[in-house]
Amino acid sequence: MYQIKESNRELVTQHYLGTTYEKWPMYYLKISQPTNKAKKIIWMDCGIHAIEWISPAFCHWFVKEILQNYRTDPKISSLLQNLDLYILPVFNIDGYIYSWTTARLWRKSRSSHMNGTCFGTDLNRNFNSSWGGVGTSHNCSSSTFCGPEAESEPETKAVARLIESRKSDILCFLTIHSFGQLLLSPYGYTKEPASNHQELVDVAQKAATVLKGKHGTNFTVGPASSVLYQNSGSSRDWAHMIGIPFSYTLELRDRGAHAFFLPADQIQPTCEETTMAVITIIEYVNQKYFPNGAKLTSGNLCLNLLLSVLFVGALS
Amino acid sequence: MCLAKNNKQFPGLIYLFSQTATGQNTERASIFFSRSCLLLFQPVLGTGHKYYLQFTTEDYKTRENVGTCLAIVFYLKRKPTPTVNIKCTYTKDQKEVQEDDHRFYQKIRQHTKPIIGSYIPDSYGNIEPAFESAWALAVVGSSYIMWEKSTENLGYFMAQVKHVKQWISKDDSIDFDYAVLLHEIPTQEMILCHMRVIWIPNHPLKVKYFCSSENQSAESEDVSGMESGSADGILNERAANF
Repeated sequence: MYQIKESNRELVTQHYLGTTYEKWPMYYLKISQPTNKAKKIIWMDCGIHAIEWISPAFCHWFVKEILQNYRTDPKISSLLQNLDLYILPVFNIDGYIYSWTTARLWRKSRSSHMNGTCFGTDLNRNFNSSWGGVGTSHNCSSSTFCGPEAESEPETKAVARLIESRKSDILCFLTIHSFGQLLLSPYGYTKEPASNHQELVDVAQKAATVLKGKHGTNFTVGPASSVLYQNSGSSRDWAHMIGIPFSYTLELRDRGAHAFFLPADQIQPTCEETTMAVITIIEYVNQKYFPNGAKLTSGNLCLNLLLSVLFVGALS
Repeated sequence: MCLAKNNKQFPGLIYLFSQTATGQNTERASIFFSRSCLLLFQPVLGTGHKYYLQFTTEDYKTRENVGTCLAIVFYLKRKPTPTVNIKCTYTKDQKEVQEDDHRFYQKIRQHTKPIIGSYIPDSYGNIEPAFESAWALAVVGSSYIMWEKSTENLGYFMAQVKHVKQWISKDDSIDFDYAVLLHEIPTQEMILCHMRVIWIPNHPLKVKYFCSSENQSAESEDVSGMESGSADGILNERAANF
């Protein structure tokens, strides 16, 4: 992360979020085109579940893509006019390290419970979104242990604190997982539709179509509780519940043939297609909140009204 | 029109596919579960839930479509195993299937030494060519376990072959002992199952298995010595019982 920051100083800054249970510092990268404009935020995190190795790989790839192409790709440069990208490459640092050094199948964090007899909380059950409800376990030895209470884990607290403090500026919250080839909208904790359910699904469908165009990979789109299973305490649900309009979980390749053990030759194609999907979502958000590439000023509005009055007058 | 797609509750369908009664009572050792589409969900008042499913399967290597099935899966209240009515169409005819299976069989028989290995795929998703067939056979064998273990609300995927050991049989059958890790949905638990798979082409797969109880802490999974000790004991025992 340091190298990326150093070699792209004009665009990238590194920001401290907090520390993990094992005291690793958590940083996110802020990709921001320096302008005087007030910008909105797109958040993306990877690696909340340690076992899902393709996820941190994707965040790394995505950052590389942006930095390699922002000067030459008009799509990316136009997005960066209005939006800052906040990217957390590895949410669950302790767990991820543990999956490399000790237990490949580890999923949770590495916090200690029950006097050191029990380890790890499922960080994606630890958020304050109907915490402790359906699809979680209160048994610390379970893979979906939701923790002793909502936001009990330092990692969850670190991310939640930042998101909460900037929520009025965050338009889109993306969290990257594997596997399943799914683009999931809220909610997981209930079958009740989100307030902007149809729009969320339409945008996700658009992204899935673009993704498929790259290598033919099929993604299924819909609310988590219908497409996948019900679960509480997810970051995606929580983000939407505090007011972030676009909130998605992406489950990357594959569909179970290799599951968590995606072969190395699928890393790049997975990252390529997923980048296209993510850009599609960000583009939509950009168009929606910054139409025609510029904010609608009061001057423009007056002119439009005058013209439409004149036009109507001419017709009648 | 699909009500739900690729519902993870139905991964045991490979086994179903290979057991369909169209004169093809053979195990397809090289096929993979692909896309499923829930056509209709029908609660039957006081009795249970009926699922009308369409699914396709594909070859694990070439990814080509191998067949399509229509199935009615009826979960009765208080009974974990559903009744199934299934009809399949295949892209290949029986002769081609037999040739495929025979090729697969020969590939394994060609090994001069018994196939013995651990952690397939490895942490990086690699499956060494020498272990590819053993892995594919583990998938099919695991699908039998999944078929028996899965319920209306619990499904499985094979995550990894922890250990594989080939027995040299006196007859023409291929004979493998496996320790496989099954990933359970939606609990996310990893279930360790010991499995004995015996197969001759044109015959159904013989699978015997024993799965460890759930909530096994992942702490012990990769501690070598501890796990292999208990696995060996069970493997030897199963050999004697066979």
